[in-house]
Amino acid sequence: MRLTRRRFLKLTGVGAVAAALPLDVVPVLAQSGPVRLGILAARAGVLAPVGESGLRGVQFATDRINAAGGILGRRLELIVEEESSPKDTVERFRKLALSDKVDAVSGAISTGVGLALGPAAEEMKTIWLAWDATTQKGVEESMPKPKYSFRSTDNECEAVMASILTARHWKGKFKTVAGINPDYSYGRDNWAAFLAIMKKYGIEAQVVSELWPKLGATDFTSHVATLIQAKPDLIFSCFWAGDTPIFMKQAHAAGLTKSTKVVLTTGGGVHESLKKDFTPEGAILGYNCFYFENPKASALAKEFTRWHAEKFKEWPNYESDHGYFTVVAFKAAIERAAKAAGGKWPTQDAIIQALEGVEAESLSGPRRYREDHIMEAAFFQGVTTHRNRHDFVTIDPVESMSTKQIQKPSGVGLYDWINGWKV
Amino acid sequence: MIVRALGLIAGAALVLLPLAGVPYTTTLLLPAFGYAVALLGLNLLFGSTGLLSFGHALFIALGGYTAAALTGRFGVRSLELVLLAAALVAALVAVPIGLLCVRYVKIYFGMLTLAFGMLFYSFLYKFYALTGGDEGMRVLRPMLLGRPLEHLDTVAYLTGPFYYYALGVLVVAALVMRRLVGSPFGLSLRSIRENAAKAESLGIGVRRCRLAAFVVAAVFGAIGGVLLVVPTGLADPLLAYWTHSGNLVFMLLLGGFDHFLGPVLGALVFILLQDSVMSLTSYWRFVFGAILAVIVIFFPRGLMGLLDARRAAAS
Amino acid sequence: MSAVRWALALGWPTPLFLPVLLAAGLALAAVGPVIERLLRPIYDRDESFQLLLTFALVLMFEDVIRFVWGTAPHQLGNVYLAYGQVRVGALTVPTYNLIVIACSAGIAAGMGWFLARTRFGRIVRATAENREMAAAMGVDMTRVYARVFTLGVALGTVGGALVIPATAAVNEMGIELIVEAFAVVVIGGLGSMRGAFAGALVVGVVKAVAIATWPEVEMLAIYVIVIAVLVLRPAGLFARATA
Repeated sequence: MRLTRRRFLKLTGVGAVAAALPLDVVPVLAQSGPVRLGILAARAGVLAPVGESGLRGVQFATDRINAAGGILGRRLELIVEEESSPKDTVERFRKLALSDKVDAVSGAISTGVGLALGPAAEEMKTIWLAWDATTQKGVEESMPKPKYSFRSTDNECEAVMASILTARHWKGKFKTVAGINPDYSYGRDNWAAFLAIMKKYGIEAQVVSELWPKLGATDFTSHVATLIQAKPDLIFSCFWAGDTPIFMKQAHAAGLTKSTKVVLTTGGGVHESLKKDFTPEGAILGYNCFYFENPKASALAKEFTRWHAEKFKEWPNYESDHGYFTVVAFKAAIERAAKAAGGKWPTQDAIIQALEGVEAESLSGPRRYREDHIMEAAFFQGVTTHRNRHDFVTIDPVESMSTKQIQKPSGVGLYDWINGWKV
Repeated sequence: MIVRALGLIAGAALVLLPLAGVPYTTTLLLPAFGYAVALLGLNLLFGSTGLLSFGHALFIALGGYTAAALTGRFGVRSLELVLLAAALVAALVAVPIGLLCVRYVKIYFGMLTLAFGMLFYSFLYKFYALTGGDEGMRVLRPMLLGRPLEHLDTVAYLTGPFYYYALGVLVVAALVMRRLVGSPFGLSLRSIRENAAKAESLGIGVRRCRLAAFVVAAVFGAIGGVLLVVPTGLADPLLAYWTHSGNLVFMLLLGGFDHFLGPVLGALVFILLQDSVMSLTSYWRFVFGAILAVIVIFFPRGLMGLLDARRAAAS
Repeated sequence: MSAVRWALALGWPTPLFLPVLLAAGLALAAVGPVIERLLRPIYDRDESFQLLLTFALVLMFEDVIRFVWGTAPHQLGNVYLAYGQVRVGALTVPTYNLIVIACSAGIAAGMGWFLARTRFGRIVRATAENREMAAAMGVDMTRVYARVFTLGVALGTVGGALVIPATAAVNEMGIELIVEAFAVVVIGGLGSMRGAFAGALVVGVVKAVAIATWPEVEMLAIYVIVIAVLVLRPAGLFARATA
C-alpha cells in the first residue's frame, strides 16, 4: 500500500520535472540586466588567505570592467559564496547555478574541491573558471574532455620550473636530497615531478628523507630534527601557505638552513612572511605566476600592485592574477563570440567556444586558455636576496618561463612528457 | 495536535516541493534527508540511550566511501545494493568499535567515539593509494530501482527520482525507528538511560542493549552517508572530521533530542538556515556558534521542545 | 580545552618581548569570569553539553579572529630568534625553546605547589573529589568555579603566548590544536595535573618518533594511543588508583 503510493508520487514527480525541464536545464542567458558571475572563495582555514587574494584580483578586474562600461554595455555583478569542503562547495555551486542563475562561476583552489566541482559544472551545464586546483588526477582521470570546466595551470608547473633551475644552478653540487611537502595530491605530485626531472638531468641524487606534514601544520620541530639527522644537501618543499614561514623559522633556529640548499617552489605565495631574519639568501623561490616586484611589470600590473598595497597594506601574490585572468578572459570570450554573431549577445555554447584559445592581458602579461581548457601563463622564480627595501626576501634576478615550456602539452602523461625532454 | 498538524503540512510540502519549480531548494533538501536518516540513528543513542557520540561522522564517511568504492571501482550501480552494502559494512565496523565504546558512558563515551572518528579520518587522509587522500573518491550516479535513468540530466535526476527515493528512504527509516523506539528494546534503552543499575537488576543486558543501539545508529549513519554523497559525487575525508560530527550533534540538539521527529526537523532547519545565513554573511560560523551556544545553555530541548512548551501552555 | 582555544585566539597580536607576551596572556585571563558566567547554567548537565559548548566557541572564535586579524598568518617579529641558539656538541637548539621548557616546568611546579599546599588549592581538590560534600562544608561553589576557570584561561593564554613566537598564529589553529589538546588530556587522565604533563610528553614524543620512522602513521598513532588509554585505563595513564 505504502509502496504503491510512494511509487505513484515518484512517478508524478518525474513527470512534473520532465515537463518543467526546458525552464530549468536549457541554459538561457538573460539578455539584459547585469552579467552575473558567481565566485567561490575560501574564507576560513588554511586556504583563507589564498581565497582572499583571488577575490581581490576578481574585484579589481570587475571594478575596471564596470568603470569602462561593463561587458558589451552590461554591468558585471559578483555573487560571492564560500569555498569550504567538497560537499558544501558543490552545494554552493549548485546554488549559484540554479538559484542565482549566474552566467559563469569563477573560483576554487583546493584540489579536493576542484575534483568535485569538475563533474558538477558539467552536470549543471555552468561554465566554471578555476583559479587553481588542477591536479594530474583532476585532468587525466575524472575530466578527460570537459565542456564547461576551464582549468588553471597544472599544479606541477612550479615544481617543473624550480627543478630546471635547480639543475641549472646546482648540478654536481649536491648528492643527497630531502623533501618536505604538504600531505595531499599537490605535495605528492610536485615531489614526484622534482625527482623525475632530477633523473632526466642525470642527477643521481639520493633521497635521504621524505616528510609529509599535514597541510597547514604549525609545528615542525620533529620534522626539522629528522632533517638534521638525515643531513641532506638540498631540501625541496612546495609549501605555499602559513606553514612555509613557520618551517623556515624553525629550520633556521635549529641551524638547518645554514649549509643546506633550499628550493621553495611556491613560497612566494606568502612572500611577505618570509622574513630576512630566518630566510637565507641563495635559495630558489617561486612566485607562481605573479611577482610583485617584476622589473618588467606592465603598467596594468603596476597599477594593481599600487592599488593592492594601498588598500590592503600588503604586496599582492599570484592568486589575484589567476582570479583577475578568469574575469577578463570571460569578458574577452563574450566579446569575441558576440563579434562572430554579428554583435548579438552570444549563446552559452558560443561563449564556451570563444573561451577556447581566448587571449587576454593578465596582471603578469598576456595569457590564454588552451583549446583543452588549461591556462597558459608565465611563471616567475629566482634566487633569494636580502638586498631590498623590505624586511622579507625577494628574488634577483627574476627568471621567467612560459607554461609552453614547463607545462605538459595536451593529451600526454606528465612523466612521459618529462622523459621525452631533450636536455 | 498542533505538532501533528504542522507535521502533516510539512510532509505535504516536502512531497510537493519538486513540482514547485525551485530546483535549487529541492536539491538543497537532499543533504537534509541524508542527515535526517543519520540523526534518527544518532538519536537512538542519545535521546533513547543517553550516549552522546562525537564521532558519528565516522559512519557517514563509511557509507560515503562504500558508495564511492562500489559505484566507482567495482561497477555496482544499483543504489539498493549500495545501501545494503553500506549498512552491512557499518554494522561490521560498529560491532568491534561498539564493544569498546559502550563500556563507558557520558564524556568517556563521547571522547572514545571522537577518537575513533579521528582515527578513521587520519586513515582516509593518509592512506593515499587506498582512499585517494584529500581528493577522496568519486561517486558515480547510481541506478534507482534498477533503472539507469540516463536520459535525465543530473539536475532532473536529483530533483526528480532521487529526491523521492531519498525521501522514501527517510520515511522508511523513520517508520523503522518508530517501531524500534516503541518496542521492548526501545523501552529497555530508556530504562538504561534513566538508571542503568536498576535496569541491570531488572534483567536487562545493559551492555548488549547499548551495543545494539550503537550498531543500529551506525547503520542509519551509513545509509545517511550514502544519500549524502550521491548529490555531491565525491566522498572526501572531511566527512569523517570531528567538526562534521559536531555539526551532527548540533542538528540533533537544534531539532530536539527528546522528540521522535526532532532529528528530522533539526536536519531540515539546519540546512535551510545554513543556506540563508551563508548567503547573508561570510561570518556564518559565528552566527552558528552563537545559535548553538544559546541552544545548549537555554533551550536544551531544541525546537521540538519549544513547540511542546507552547502546546503545554495552550492546553 | 576551550582555554587552549582562548589562548590562541587572544595570545596573538601582542607585542614583542616575552615578558610583555606573558603579561598580555595573563591580562587576557580577565575574560575568564565573563565566559564562566555564561557557562554556569550547564554545570549540572551531562558533560557532553560542555563538549558541545566548546564546539560552539570554536565556531565563533574562528570568525572573531578572522574579523579582527584577517586571514593571513601572523608572526611575532624576531622574538623567537632574538634569544639566539645554544650549541650542544653537534646539536643546535634555539634558546627560546629552552626558555619555553623552563617556563612550562616552572608553571607546572607552581601549579603543583598551589594545589598541594595552599588553602585554595585544597578547596579545589576537595571540590573536584566531591562537589556536594565540599558545598556542604561551606565552600562557596560559585566563587571556586569562577576562580578555577579564570586560572584555566590564564594558563591557556600564557601557553598560547609562549608557543606563538616559535610558529605563527593561523586561523585554523584552534580547530587543529583542540583535538591534539584533547589527546593530551585524555592520555594523561581528566583532572590529573601530572597526567596532563605526561600526556603532553607522550603526544610530543610519539609524533617525533613517528615522523622520523614512519610518517604515514603520525596522526593515526596518537589516536590509537588515545583509544588504548581510554579502553585500558580510562582514568588516564598516570591516574592514582584511589579515585
